[in-house]
Amino acid sequence: MDHTDHTAAIRTFVVEEFLPDVRHEDLDLGYDLIANGVIDSLGLLKLIAWLEDTFDVPVDDVELNPDSFRTVIAINAFVSAALETTAVRLS
Amino acid sequence: MDDAGLVGAIAGQAKERPAAPALCWRDEEIGYGELVLRAGRARAALTALGLEPGTPVAVHAEKTPDTIALVLGALSAGHPVLLTSTTLPSDTEAHLLDKAGCRVKVSAVPSPSAGHVVDLSTSDGGTPAPLTEHDGGQDAVLFMLTSSGSTGVPKIIPLTAGGVGRFVGWASAAFFGDGPKTVLNYAPLNFDLCLLDIWTTLATGGKVVLVDARRATRAGYLHELIERHRVHLVQAVPMCYQLLLESTAGPHPAVRYVISTGDVLPPRCLRRLRGLFPGAQLYNLYGCTETNDSFLHPIDDAGADGPVPLGRPIDGVSALLVDRDGVVLEGEGVGELLVNTPFQAPGYLDAALTERAFVPHPAGRDRLRYFASGDLVRRDADGALTLLGRNDFQVKVRGSRVNTQEVERALLAHPDIPEAVVFGAPDTIAGTVLHAVVRRRTTDAPDSLAIRRHCATRLPAAAVPAVLHLVDAALPRTSTGKPDRKQIASTYSKGH
Repeated sequence: MDHTDHTAAIRTFVVEEFLPDVRHEDLDLGYDLIANGVIDSLGLLKLIAWLEDTFDVPVDDVELNPDSFRTVIAINAFVSAALETTAVRLS
Repeated sequence: MDDAGLVGAIAGQAKERPAAPALCWRDEEIGYGELVLRAGRARAALTALGLEPGTPVAVHAEKTPDTIALVLGALSAGHPVLLTSTTLPSDTEAHLLDKAGCRVKVSAVPSPSAGHVVDLSTSDGGTPAPLTEHDGGQDAVLFMLTSSGSTGVPKIIPLTAGGVGRFVGWASAAFFGDGPKTVLNYAPLNFDLCLLDIWTTLATGGKVVLVDARRATRAGYLHELIERHRVHLVQAVPMCYQLLLESTAGPHPAVRYVISTGDVLPPRCLRRLRGLFPGAQLYNLYGCTETNDSFLHPIDDAGADGPVPLGRPIDGVSALLVDRDGVVLEGEGVGELLVNTPFQAPGYLDAALTERAFVPHPAGRDRLRYFASGDLVRRDADGALTLLGRNDFQVKVRGSRVNTQEVERALLAHPDIPEAVVFGAPDTIAGTVLHAVVRRRTTDAPDSLAIRRHCATRLPAAAVPAVLHLVDAALPRTSTGKPDRKQIASTYSKGH
């Protein structure tokens, strides 16, 4: 089981990839990344590819709902839930 | 379906082949009998709401079988249906409903912005009356679509029973031949592309494979749908094809027709599409929501490196090129494309807008009403037509028309933004990406987070710039004092 908090890494990625002018600490963890156009459908692909590479999340097995990627908090919850599913399957 | 009408044609399919699959959604197949049953429940639910026949109703256009049943049920009761995008800001939507005369918004799917939710999944015990066509005549409005993109309130485009019927007749003859066919539906339900993907397919007894909007950017998922359902026809914007080509899956030899529309198909993509769909005829299709499909160009191998031409007008379509002085160009040259089609809308709901965009022949040579498309087109010596771009400030972002000046206006409405220039830049996957160059009064505020929030409350999703360039120096201007858009675009479009 992996309950590590990944919010810092996720926030760093989102800021560096999509918000070059923003200081990391200025991105509120609850900022709506989708409604505010930070992450569009192609941005979502980039983000998902990064999650797959960084956290070994088996994204193909998971239902992809834009709501899972709306905020840094939501992305973190998505990663934790996905890792938990993997852990259960491996055990 | 000339006599039966859209609802009548679909109800007729249900009567003859109730078990035949109409819609594929996730792992479920919905037969014609079931679809029409749910549409009957929807009609009863709308009647129970106290809606008089003929009063327009808004439908939350989240693409599911129940939403399609709800649209059918509403049409059957004689309600013109305004299809509202699921991504509209709520202020814009309220204004749109008001303009369209819709007192009620209904939805088949519960969601925070859904309006009145109609549950079609279970029966209330009784069997609904058989689904019938509401015969309001050829001029009765079936769908109300909106011009995509731009800001403020989108223009409302009513499509009549006559126009839709002629479209279904043309499209089924052009692509479906003799029997029911399986079609992939990629576009959102409120896009005009659904007239072919969904409504023509259903009117002719075929099977619509609905792409789940939540997974629409997953190449593996799209490949799997095409393969598993042995799809006959795919119609989509170039971005969908770019995505498909990103993956190594395929080829799909069973596909017979591949139609690219809504944007310019890059030549590099075109060559690889041929390998992905070895058994298909590739087409470039040009049309506006106002006129529907106008030009269909079968793409052959000759000249595959140049831009794809518009091709020939579809039967019954009249097209003119008009130069800057309003003179009709007869030979070679560049002008704005004016089109009249058998499918076109009678105008916008707003008469003032109609007068500007739906115009008579400039030289009075016929009695048709032409739609001034705003697209600049070149005619070569041999008569071939090629799309050059917009003659105004419009760009296409993922299939949505966006007016860059209106995005600039939205940015300038921020008290700390004295200058802003917005432009579309080509992108290998997305086609066109919206950039904004923004000068702020002070160097540290507002940041891009605040600017995005500012835009998102005023603009539809496609019009929120994907790339923001924040600058502190004044933007370059032309000799007439306007922002030098050309120079600014060339400086900032690199290194995205």
